[in-house]
Amino acid sequence: MSTSPVSTSPSADAPESAATREARLTTLLVFGAMIVGAVLQIWIPPGPVTLVAATAVASLVVLGLSFVVPGRLRPTLSGFRFTSSLLIALAIFAILGTLILQGKPAALYRARYGLVGPVILALRFDDIFHGLPYAGLMALFGAAILASASLRWPISARRAGFFIAHVGLLISGAGAAASSMLSVRGRVDLFAGGDVARQVRVTKNGVPTGATEQLPFELKLDQFDLVNYETEYRIGYYEKVRLVRDGVAMDDYRLKTSFDPDLGWHRLPQGDRFRLKAIYPDFELVPRVSAAPEGPPALLVTLAGRKLWLQPGELAAAPDGSLAVAFGELRPPPPPGYPTTVLISSQDRQVVVHRADGDAAQPLTEGAPLLGGALRVEQLLPHAVRGAAYQTRSAEWRNPAVVVETEQNGRPAEVLATAAQPRGVFLREGRAALVFEKRDKEVKAFLSHVTARQGDQLERAVISVNDPFEFGGWTLYQVNYNPDDPTYSGLEAVRDPGVLWVFVGFALICAGVFYMLYVEPRLRGGGIERTIPGAASGAASR
Amino acid sequence: MLQYVLVEHPFFALTSLLYLAATLAYGLAWVSPSRLPGRVGTALMAAGVILNTAVIAGRWIEAGRAPFKSLFESLVFFAFCIALLYVAFERLYRTRLFGVAAGLMAFGSMAYALVKWDAEIVKLPPALQSAWFVPHVMVYFIGYAAVAIATGVAVVQLLASRFPFVQRLTTMKAGSVLSGAPLDLDRISYDAVRFGFVLLTVGLLVGSVWAKSAWGDFWVWDPKENWSLVTWLIYGAYLHLRKVRGWRGDRAAWLAVIGFAVVMFTYLGISVLPTAEESAHVYTGT
Repeated sequence: MSTSPVSTSPSADAPESAATREARLTTLLVFGAMIVGAVLQIWIPPGPVTLVAATAVASLVVLGLSFVVPGRLRPTLSGFRFTSSLLIALAIFAILGTLILQGKPAALYRARYGLVGPVILALRFDDIFHGLPYAGLMALFGAAILASASLRWPISARRAGFFIAHVGLLISGAGAAASSMLSVRGRVDLFAGGDVARQVRVTKNGVPTGATEQLPFELKLDQFDLVNYETEYRIGYYEKVRLVRDGVAMDDYRLKTSFDPDLGWHRLPQGDRFRLKAIYPDFELVPRVSAAPEGPPALLVTLAGRKLWLQPGELAAAPDGSLAVAFGELRPPPPPGYPTTVLISSQDRQVVVHRADGDAAQPLTEGAPLLGGALRVEQLLPHAVRGAAYQTRSAEWRNPAVVVETEQNGRPAEVLATAAQPRGVFLREGRAALVFEKRDKEVKAFLSHVTARQGDQLERAVISVNDPFEFGGWTLYQVNYNPDDPTYSGLEAVRDPGVLWVFVGFALICAGVFYMLYVEPRLRGGGIERTIPGAASGAASR
Repeated sequence: MLQYVLVEHPFFALTSLLYLAATLAYGLAWVSPSRLPGRVGTALMAAGVILNTAVIAGRWIEAGRAPFKSLFESLVFFAFCIALLYVAFERLYRTRLFGVAAGLMAFGSMAYALVKWDAEIVKLPPALQSAWFVPHVMVYFIGYAAVAIATGVAVVQLLASRFPFVQRLTTMKAGSVLSGAPLDLDRISYDAVRFGFVLLTVGLLVGSVWAKSAWGDFWVWDPKENWSLVTWLIYGAYLHLRKVRGWRGDRAAWLAVIGFAVVMFTYLGISVLPTAEESAHVYTGT
């Protein structure tokens, strides 16, 4: 992020040679920093302190040398070619940090990376961003900024962008260094109504170190709320996918899209169609008997206010046990244990009232009340089949079910699907499936209502993700909860003295970059890019 | 699949078709002596932008949140950003030469969304329920679109130095270069990178501020963070190298192309990295 201060060309050949020398020096510095860092790393292990200390010391040493060593060291450091090379080298390190797992046990690298594993460990690329090669590059970066600034001093409106952006980079870097060395972070586990927390369990990369840090205040969890999104019912469309988990290939279904439960036809990605033929918000299955050309007879009776279908051999009893009705093609035997039984036979259409003191028979008359209205024979079907009917108890979505009608290659099919027991309606030989599903477990927010007390100072707050609570120099973040224990809340406590400077630096970087790229060219007379002195004559500009 | 999209997501299908049709019209403008194909291309592209806006707005209303959560949603928004920026670009530079590249990228983004189809509207997890969510994503995607257009220009620049037909296009008045003056491709590409770089800078830093407010760390070396930094460093190097003699023209164009390849990897390729399983940024289904 530097801008060439000057570029002159005393002769036609000299700039070529200057450019070559600059390129050679750039290569030497960048590779030298990495190699020296790699060698020194044999004795100095990587870590935040290593990174910050090495960067600061090396940066000042290189900068100091650039002022005292004769030759082109300082112009090279402040040149565009050098900065560009450095940015590319830093980019390569950033890439390596994503190719190599960071901060894992040594055995994992040997197992996962094979022959390369020991090389990774030897070069300490398992902690690449805290190692000395990286510190070497950062040191050159810092030295380049300072060297470039020294050549561009004093500040003018036409060069202000450079200073703003680069001061921003330095402030961010210093803030990040302070964060890296001085910040403390750890976990605070709280239970609603439970003990007060006075310390944090210190963590590094999310793993407890075993150390604790005293909080300067007491923290209490008054209440913990786990808020879910509103329950909704959807028709989910899943497709079978081949997954590899832990080296084992397996089939699984992945949700591709979903539909509102409505009665319209919908087209599916694989070309089939479906619709919900019926929707039952509060589903129940009711038995139903209907007349048929053949089959056993069936009798509909009203007993104690309830309508019941009976088929031969079946029995119905009043809830108080005072009366029972038995039905058969011939007169059924009286069931034991009831003071009064009514025996109804379909072949001779006869009703017998059986009591201990004797029987009383009469012809079966549909709709006639018996025993003072306690029983009514409603209907006798000579031949009937028994089935079931779907219906909804109410309009409220208590136990929803739907009838899914699918059409695959023009072939229709119907399936009842309930949300309480979601099962796939499979399509295309199992390659896809429709599922009527209830969605009620999606977490919308988790909120900790806490009270912090430091001496006489007392403060209450609600902590949620993205809404931390600052108190006593610490910031508390909502990071965890336990769905099985609604009283538990996991907080992250952080004390970070550098972060403010990091953000101040960020603001300056943004302002500086904008100023440099959009304001400075206008101040220079409307050109979009500054004309590079000497470029036209073939000089190597920086 | 096509039938499904036409029936269930007609606006999505129509937007894609408009981008494809615009691409064809812009392509015709390259070889036609008439200005009509170019004008039709502009009209189709503008219509695509309007319909794409409707697709995004409709989904925003349906989901009750900004539609930037899933890969599908981001691809639709990416297409919108490319097309919108291109239309502004066409007016600014008075040329339709890059309409084919912009149309292809916008259509390609929609086509990829179709291939990777995950149109399910998912709920926002607590971490994404932040005031930073919308500005972070919007700034980044407009920045991505800017460098995408810069890359389109850079590709034309590279082809122009190799193929006389493309070289002729850069100076052709009818239907392509409206001003009639030869285009300075290097400068146009630089302008787009410059615009994109400012947005990538803001996006990167806004993301860092957001991470701090959500998790307490402004930088955790997450693969997405790292690759976002890599894109920033590469475009930073591009802007620096332009000041070095011999780093304009083809070399700068190649660097713009490489930068965009890194942007695309940052956007779509993170899931293949060994460190991806620990990332909070990987789209499902990629």
